[in-house]
Amino acid sequence: MIQTARRNLSIYGSIFAMIPKVFMAYQLWFWIGLVLNVISMAILVYFWRAIYNETSTISGLGLGQTLTYILLAFIFMPLTSNDLIWEFGSNLREGTIIHHLLRPINFQGMNYAQMLGGLVTRLILQVPMAVIAVLLFGLRFPTDLVTWLAFMVSALLGFTVMFFFNWLLACLTFYTTEIWGLGVLIDGMTFFLSGALVPLVMMPEWVRTIVLSIPFAQALAVPVGLLTGITPLTDAPRVWLIQLLWILGLWVASTLFFRVAVRKITVQGG
Amino acid sequence: MPVIEVKELTKVFKIPKKEPGLGGAVKGLFRPQYENKLAVNGINFKLEPGEIVGYIGVNGAGKSTTIKMLTGVLMPTSGTIKVLGRDPHRQRVENARDIGVVFGQRTQLWWDLALIESLNLIAKIYDVHPVKYRLMLDKFTETLELDELLKTPVRNMSLGQKMRSELAAALIHEPQVVYLDEPTIGLDLIVKERIRDFIKAECISKGMTVILTTHDLGDIEELCQRVIIIDDGRIIYDGPIETIKKQFGKFREITFETVEDVKGLDLPKGSELLSTEDHKVQIRFDRTVSSASRVAGMVMKQIEVRDFSLSEPELSDIVKQIYNGALEREV
Amino acid sequence: MTRYLNLYWYFLIQRLKVLMEYRASFILGASSTIVWQASSIAAVWVVMQKVPNLNGWNYDEVLLVYGFVTLSKSINHMFADNLWTLGRIYIRSGGFDRFLVRPIDPLFHLLADRFCQDGVGNFLVGAALVIKSSVALGIDWTPAKFLMLVVGVLSGGFIFIALNLITCVTAFWIVDSVPVTRLVFDNHLFAQYPLTIYPKAINVLLTWIIPYGFASFYPASYLLNRDIGNIAWFGPFVAAFLLFIGYRFWQFGLKYYSGTGT
Repeated sequence: MIQTARRNLSIYGSIFAMIPKVFMAYQLWFWIGLVLNVISMAILVYFWRAIYNETSTISGLGLGQTLTYILLAFIFMPLTSNDLIWEFGSNLREGTIIHHLLRPINFQGMNYAQMLGGLVTRLILQVPMAVIAVLLFGLRFPTDLVTWLAFMVSALLGFTVMFFFNWLLACLTFYTTEIWGLGVLIDGMTFFLSGALVPLVMMPEWVRTIVLSIPFAQALAVPVGLLTGITPLTDAPRVWLIQLLWILGLWVASTLFFRVAVRKITVQGG
Repeated sequence: MPVIEVKELTKVFKIPKKEPGLGGAVKGLFRPQYENKLAVNGINFKLEPGEIVGYIGVNGAGKSTTIKMLTGVLMPTSGTIKVLGRDPHRQRVENARDIGVVFGQRTQLWWDLALIESLNLIAKIYDVHPVKYRLMLDKFTETLELDELLKTPVRNMSLGQKMRSELAAALIHEPQVVYLDEPTIGLDLIVKERIRDFIKAECISKGMTVILTTHDLGDIEELCQRVIIIDDGRIIYDGPIETIKKQFGKFREITFETVEDVKGLDLPKGSELLSTEDHKVQIRFDRTVSSASRVAGMVMKQIEVRDFSLSEPELSDIVKQIYNGALEREV
Repeated sequence: MTRYLNLYWYFLIQRLKVLMEYRASFILGASSTIVWQASSIAAVWVVMQKVPNLNGWNYDEVLLVYGFVTLSKSINHMFADNLWTLGRIYIRSGGFDRFLVRPIDPLFHLLADRFCQDGVGNFLVGAALVIKSSVALGIDWTPAKFLMLVVGVLSGGFIFIALNLITCVTAFWIVDSVPVTRLVFDNHLFAQYPLTIYPKAINVLLTWIIPYGFASFYPASYLLNRDIGNIAWFGPFVAAFLLFIGYRFWQFGLKYYSGTGT
């Protein structure tokens, strides 16, 4: 009895000893990355607070709502990631893409699973930042389960929209080596066009129209709108439907383009 | 007046000691322990103008540390260095003007620039007079066959082309002292010959003092009149190449790949068995006493041989032998 | 001195020749910085359409601040971008030794070896913002104000460079100095907006510790006749001080490097 207890204790002891070791082993980048994110969040928070000094609502949104939206959009930014384009680029350069195409697995499906896994990892890594947002900036996460479910459905749909959109763009890597530059350009635009910097309702009509005609907002502004309650839950089905239509359209376009691009590589050589 | 004078040169490195486990990691953070590594241990030598010296030793012997100190990159722990009368570390810039350095693996040329642009830039950095530069450029273009290379950026060059360009870059400002670190590494024999010929022609004609570090004994044999051997931070030999040649130049090694394990062999005179491990029989023989065919003939009469190869003795072997007093014995 | 200027010019020409070869990435690089900036500015524009007052600063005044810091930042981006590669590219590969074996100052060599074309994008954006906003605001350009413009941008630029240098010297010890540089550099984002929107602690940080405030807020405030006293004129002294510290630290790091080797 005592033997078992002692053994358990030593096991737990060594597990606990791992924690500081893990702390110290963690790359400098992780901790500094956290600080960098806090700086970005702080600027957003103080900017919006100063804006709201003059008025209590903007486009029907109060300070609390807006801040919640902005901070949540920042935390869920990984939904807009375009890793796929980089993957493609490096695969192509290293010639490994040929191997993938020869395998009897659905190439797109495999990539989707990969990206999804990447998303989950990224979101987990966002947790420390979320904690700081709660502690430092008073972020309040919604507590309603239905809201969360609606959000998660929309987030997955939005992520899928981005997946096919990125697939479409990634096919360009078959035609140009300057994909790096393109990727950075898109990164720069995504910030605004995903609705991360400004809630959609605040945009002038014409700006909002443009933003909604490109896919980025579907991945971030739309799901986070549901999560913050800016978009009421009753609108959820309509929102999901729009996202599904986006998916359909982009799926067809990307598959076609991909087929054309693959033909180029197999006929002309990489 | 010696060009290079090294007195009791010593370099000690403080290597942090890493203790295993969590306790060790924490301790390492707050009270780091160091152990001293004596990389160069009180070495002495002098080089007169025009000498071409081979500076050899196994990896980790202290070669690159010495060269780094001579070129002013690394500060000695104790002892003095005088290159052309200057302390290369304290008078780094002045010293740099008079030296040329080739770091075998790392090119000093700009990756994306055409060779001619790199050379132009280097000429500017070293303040080479435009007329002089023109002369040198024309000469090197001829002797190193750089015509097509001049428009080529380094990233598109083969190893041999890179090295030829590298030499041009290192010598374009006519330095008095030249450090060549592994200049022929990875090159095929023909290119090696060309490089060696160039070094001989250029450096000897200009009376440059050259220190050559290399693992290729062929380089040493062809270029150097004198050899300094460093091992474990100390100089174990400093003398004419002739002695080395006489002692080791005559040796060759044959390695036989056998089908079965071999216990012992009868060998002709002037040959000795080095090892029989791993189905590989290594034999060293004295060329002046025996011959490859005699050894091979005798061996193949006794055992079944799958394959064999002929080679020159390794540097590490020579160093070991010198340690065991081989050199002293003959002389 | 003239020799170094001459030499730098030559380095620059060579670099531009190479960049011209890769014309596509040259343009892409410059454009990517422009796009990034455009994103942030678009957001500010949209918001300030609704609420034209940020803590007493109107849209064009905010643009002036933003433009100033972007201009200053671009100087660092164009001329000192090679600093952050010291550890990752030069020290790690042993390539730094080459600088020590050449008869020119190694810091100069490091800086001259790479002019970054992406910085041009930032320069263009910054200049455009400053011009646009000062025209819209109808600033009365007294000689003092014009001097402040030049002084503000230059000392801001040198503050960026000095802080860049200080953080990059750590590469001599830890090789990968980039996280440290980012840690300091990202604080300039605060300075894109008027410092008055932040709590006191951040004001202190950006004025006395990581003084990016002198690259944007203080010169802009001066130009807009805001009551900040003469603090805006401290800029060049702050820059000079930081550059001095930076250079001494560099020499210290160099000494360490040549004492311990790689």
